[in-house]
Amino acid sequence: MLYALCFLLFMIGLYCAVVKKNMVKIVIGIMIMEYAVNLFLIMLGYRAGGVAPIVTRDQLGSTLGQVLPTFINTSVDPLPQALVLTAIVISLGSLALMISICIRTYQRYGTFDITEIRRLKG
Amino acid sequence: MKGMTVIVKTISSWIKVFIFMFGIYITITGHLTPGGGFAGGVILASSYVLLMLAFGREFVEENLPLAAASRLDCLGAFLFAVIAILGMVLGGSFFVNFLYQKYLPGEPLNLISAGTIPLSNIAIGLKVSASLFLVILTLSIFRPDISADKKEQN
Repeated sequence: MLYALCFLLFMIGLYCAVVKKNMVKIVIGIMIMEYAVNLFLIMLGYRAGGVAPIVTRDQLGSTLGQVLPTFINTSVDPLPQALVLTAIVISLGSLALMISICIRTYQRYGTFDITEIRRLKG
Repeated sequence: MKGMTVIVKTISSWIKVFIFMFGIYITITGHLTPGGGFAGGVILASSYVLLMLAFGREFVEENLPLAAASRLDCLGAFLFAVIAILGMVLGGSFFVNFLYQKYLPGEPLNLISAGTIPLSNIAIGLKVSASLFLVILTLSIFRPDISADKKEQN
């Protein structure tokens, strides 16, 4: 059910990126698609009633360096979270690139409408 | 670009130090608590963005010029590469945690532990803060100067 909601969010982003004619709205649609995929990856690693995968002093046994097995059995998967953190960094870089392209296009043509941007200018 | 009102200027000049210190804290305790180089770098950059919004772009450019920010950016990437290659030289493989293995074992959950990971976090924080600051600064430099282009068309 929740995965279907993720898919719905992705489809909203896809609709926004394909149908809209304003460049800024296209950028927003692409970012909504990226966030939907990030949410899906985070939800893949979730475990019902799990704890955050952070080792504090409570999670260590009597000998330091040994993590308690109850922590391992209840914590959520940290690997999708690390993956999504990297994906967020990359999406930040691509967002900056897309926004700068939008600004340069507006500087050239004076409009954000992609149907009015027809010919290339040097 | 002369900045906002005196209320915003006063409050942001008080609060910028705390934001900066919080960014440094998040960066150097990245191996113990949630956070790390990227989150701390974003907070460090956001303190400068706050100054840029409150006082205007010229004030921030006097404080941290474009060339200095670019050098800090390159320094962060260089430090990260140096840590990685030192792992290859001293430990035998790329990104080996040579400090933890040989020189500085350290207790878990202390500030000085985990070998090269805090150093990598500091390098990443430097890189991310400088580059995010540069991104927002260069985006704010662009002005939509349409009138000049319309003259070219005619």
